[in-house]
Amino acid sequence: MDHYVPILIFTLIAVSVPIIILMIAKVVRFGSYDPVKAEPYECGIEATSFALDTRFSIRYYLIAVLFVVFDVETIFLFPWAVVFDELALFGFIEMMVFLAILLVGYLYAWRRGALEWA
Amino acid sequence: MIITATHYLVLSLIIFCLGLVGVMVRRNFITVLMSLELMFNAVNLNLIAFSYRLDDLAGQVLAIFVITVAAAEAAIGLGLIIALVRLKDTVSLDEADVMRS
Amino acid sequence: MGFLIENFGAIFFFLVAALTVAGAVGVVTLRNPVHAALALLETFVMVAILFILRHAEFLAAVQVLVYAGGIMVLYLFVIMLVKVKDLRAEDAFLLNIAPLAVLGGVLLGALLAAGILLGTMAAGDGAVAALQTIGDETVGNTEAVGWLLFTKFLVPFEVVSVVLLVAMIGAIVFGRRDAALSGPGEGVEP
Repeated sequence: MDHYVPILIFTLIAVSVPIIILMIAKVVRFGSYDPVKAEPYECGIEATSFALDTRFSIRYYLIAVLFVVFDVETIFLFPWAVVFDELALFGFIEMMVFLAILLVGYLYAWRRGALEWA
Repeated sequence: MIITATHYLVLSLIIFCLGLVGVMVRRNFITVLMSLELMFNAVNLNLIAFSYRLDDLAGQVLAIFVITVAAAEAAIGLGLIIALVRLKDTVSLDEADVMRS
Repeated sequence: MGFLIENFGAIFFFLVAALTVAGAVGVVTLRNPVHAALALLETFVMVAILFILRHAEFLAAVQVLVYAGGIMVLYLFVIMLVKVKDLRAEDAFLLNIAPLAVLGGVLLGALLAAGILLGTMAAGDGAVAALQTIGDETVGNTEAVGWLLFTKFLVPFEVVSVVLLVAMIGAIVFGRRDAALSGPGEGVEP
């Protein structure tokens, strides 16, 4: 029970900070509405198209997939790091095998140009 | 009132069936994949309920593997959607009939 | 009032369960894929809370990290990659639902905090000894999971890397720009 009190406090602070900031902003600011304000911000240039009419480039999908794969890799790395002392060399070797297999995929992505934007 | 494994199993069943209905009824490929994710989550709930009930950690480890497989499934499934969009410019599963003889 | 306090755990479970089912119903019924994705996100977070209640803290973190943080982004990217049709113009501006969104965020945060609190209360009764021990030593849930993962489940762990490898290679093959089946769906620069 005691272990979680910091997390609980952290959660409460994390939730309350943005709320308090929004409240302060709400109280302080002028309440004028203008349709121009609702437009998406594109570096000051007028939006050329409606946001939902445009398609994202397919490369965003590739980036997202690579992110998800390495995200999943992280969830294995984290408990590994926690029990590393007990596992010693054995754990090191098994994680290196795991990483080596994923490295093959990384090198494949690299060679295929999936990491290049142009 | 004490929450037992049964409560979790019933909840898991409801979510799994909703996911199954979604997979069968919906025609939008993206929504079908989302319903599949629902089914994965129902399975995970099941594993966790039994892990707690039997006081055995193996269920939690298996759930991690399920999550990993779900991530791989999402990556490949969405890749299929992209292939379908490139080929036919649609996400409707009814249009995905190139292999029909 | 006494009833409420006594059965707080059960009431909380039923509340979270109801929200989970509501999210699942939303995924299956909502016509707009973006709305369905948001309902799915809500379901993921609720399932994470249920994990905490069943003393699977590490798994709850993984659930939020991988599902809500990774897979959800992937889904939304693909939804945007495919043109979102049938979307009414006013849906694009989130101004009028901002108070609702804030309220929803507050509620989700409060639920998560209560889930952590209840999970720790459940931990106090000592019924879940094996969920946080290695041998006789009491450790955290993450450490216990890690120990089991890297000893008993060693082979599945290595095989999983192959699954991830296949996912990565498959995605690259599907997502390549010069793919042989490039058709009308080719993306444009935003």
